[in-house]
Amino acid sequence: MAIAQLDHFTYSYPGATYAALRDVSVRIGLGLTVVAGPSGGGKSTLLRVFNGLVPHFHGGRVSGAATVAGLDVLATPTRLLARNTGFVFQDPELQTVYATVDREVAFGLENAAVPQREIAARVGEALHEVGIEHLAGRAVRTLSGGERQRVALASALAVRPRLVVLDEPTSQLDPGGAELLLAAARRAAVDGRAVIVSEHRLSRLIPEAGALLMVEGGRISEADPAAWRPSPVMAAPRLRAPEEEAWSVAGATVGFDGVPVLENVYLKGRAAEVVALAGPNGGGKTTLLRLIAGLAAPMSGTVTRPPGRIAYLPQNPAALLHRQSVREEVQFTIDRAGGGEGERPERILGVLGLADLADRYPRDLSSGERQRAAIAAVLPGTPKLVLLDEPTRGMDLASRSALIAVVADLRNRGAAVVIATHDEDLQAALADRVVDVARGAVTQRAPHAVPA
Amino acid sequence: MRAETNRLNARAIAAWSAACLVIVLATTNPVYKTLVLAAALAALVAGAGLKRIRRLLIAAMLVAAFAVALNLVSAHLGATVLFTLPAQLPAIGGPYTLEALAYGASGGVTVAAALLAAAPFSLLLASYEVMDALPAALSRTGTALAAALNLVPAVGATFVQVSEAQRMRGWRPRGPRSWAEVAVPVVLTSVESSIQLAESMEARGFGSGPRTHMSPVRMSSQDWVLALASASAVVLFAISIAAGWAGPWAAYPLLTAPPIDPRPLIACLLLFTPALQWRLRS
Repeated sequence: MAIAQLDHFTYSYPGATYAALRDVSVRIGLGLTVVAGPSGGGKSTLLRVFNGLVPHFHGGRVSGAATVAGLDVLATPTRLLARNTGFVFQDPELQTVYATVDREVAFGLENAAVPQREIAARVGEALHEVGIEHLAGRAVRTLSGGERQRVALASALAVRPRLVVLDEPTSQLDPGGAELLLAAARRAAVDGRAVIVSEHRLSRLIPEAGALLMVEGGRISEADPAAWRPSPVMAAPRLRAPEEEAWSVAGATVGFDGVPVLENVYLKGRAAEVVALAGPNGGGKTTLLRLIAGLAAPMSGTVTRPPGRIAYLPQNPAALLHRQSVREEVQFTIDRAGGGEGERPERILGVLGLADLADRYPRDLSSGERQRAAIAAVLPGTPKLVLLDEPTRGMDLASRSALIAVVADLRNRGAAVVIATHDEDLQAALADRVVDVARGAVTQRAPHAVPA
Repeated sequence: MRAETNRLNARAIAAWSAACLVIVLATTNPVYKTLVLAAALAALVAGAGLKRIRRLLIAAMLVAAFAVALNLVSAHLGATVLFTLPAQLPAIGGPYTLEALAYGASGGVTVAAALLAAAPFSLLLASYEVMDALPAALSRTGTALAAALNLVPAVGATFVQVSEAQRMRGWRPRGPRSWAEVAVPVVLTSVESSIQLAESMEARGFGSGPRTHMSPVRMSSQDWVLALASASAVVLFAISIAAGWAGPWAAYPLLTAPPIDPRPLIACLLLFTPALQWRLRS
């Protein structure tokens, strides 16, 4: 039985010269449907058709037909489709309306004018279904990213929709948080609903997927989930061994407003060496990276850095994009940061697969393309110290491979590299050492070793 | 989160805040203004604790001090000259009077009292309590406003992140124009965040028709006491003004002691009700 159906559906965003979805025909049945494909291929656009955000919220040109739970998507406003389609977005922070968990989960029920006497029970039921009853009454701002995404899923389930859509819901979560969220999504799928999840890392979902949709270039093809095999991330060849000490943290304590986040940290790294910082969200990886960068002052202890340029990629690098084209973004860093004599933007744009997008406005790109554009903007030239904070967030396999190539090139040219990342494939491909950062302390291990 | 014992209904607190504002803005008498300020301060200390309102108090004192200084420097009126700066000094030259100081202090008390009287909405109430207290006609606007307020911390975090990242790309603050390279991405990101939040709210059915509330607003007897005390304060003070019991006070040309009458005084004392309620509950 099809819960949702698209027939020869073609869609273009306002002002776009190309179609984001091209002649798409697909039927969505009960159970779990996984949507995969490269960044910028049209996954998010496809998912937004199922609750009418495309085209009602975004505008643009449409042809073909789309139905969800028997409703004509093109003739039904999103706010009414919301009673049949629950939606979980990528960023947990940008979908929170209320300050407390119960009220947040109740928001959709209030909008649907569910009688007040039923709301509390429905909220409890949704929290139970997602396994977060213990979060009832908590302030949303005190939750981890993974907990917030499960609150978002509970909010979607509370209205008892026939279809639940999750758009790359784990891209900002640590492995533990991602697994708990996907387990909740899988449970929702076996409970008589249609659940669609867009993901780059399919291995956690494929075993229970009833359908696999590959979206690329605005077109959809159906694949057999049973025939899917993971593509290994290839390690980049090392051309030189780690050399002299390049940076060090000695007995450093660092924190906010006088409250330590990390205490008495001793750590050092060498030129041509890649150190990965691992650990759960909120464990202190970003704080340690900012300490090494010189952006956070130690409360005690010392930090040394190599002379020369430091390249720093923040957690949401797309936020820094502000020039008229991707090429101008790269040129901005080359002109300002130095250390890039003779460097041209085309080199790094080519390595990151952005040559065709060089003249595009960066903020018009998909989230994965933006991420690559921001990496290109931060990493040109020959920095001596490279600090990357969750660089593979929202990246597809091809983009991750390109990133690995860029970082390996910097390492092979003698840069000391520190990467804060949950991405175990990235750690395996690049890291010489992994440092677990959790509960205010750091512990070192070799890549692949399981943390204690 | 404030203590459960301190919970008062948002509508009752709104009535009290409005009463404070009406009285402090309606009178020129610094004694009554000071009483309103004291009532607001007592309510905040009882409801939130001195530690939580420390920054607000500093801000209120700075604003009040600015009002005093501005009037002292700009109004060279009054009979009681404290000191005189040479008239040749542009803007600040001339006599500095006790009357200008007193009038400025009265203005400073007004501003501080208004700030503290409005503070319970952010310090003592959760955003959803304020939204729930709004009349049905303003429910959608209130929800949108509360959602937008949730983005404020994210904007601050974006500013820090962008300025740090641009600095690492070689950007340095060199005059106002250079800040565009930080301000533009922060504004663009904030606009995009707002659009994403709006998209999320639309996807959750916001605006589909009349809404219900998980916790409909109910006034307890304590809430009714506060609302009635606030309304009584306003009515009594209005009668006092009309009857001449709370007559005007003027600092110029010669400073005189402000007149005090028990009836407007009682009106001001009624504004201490929430402080008393919170003290008794805790």
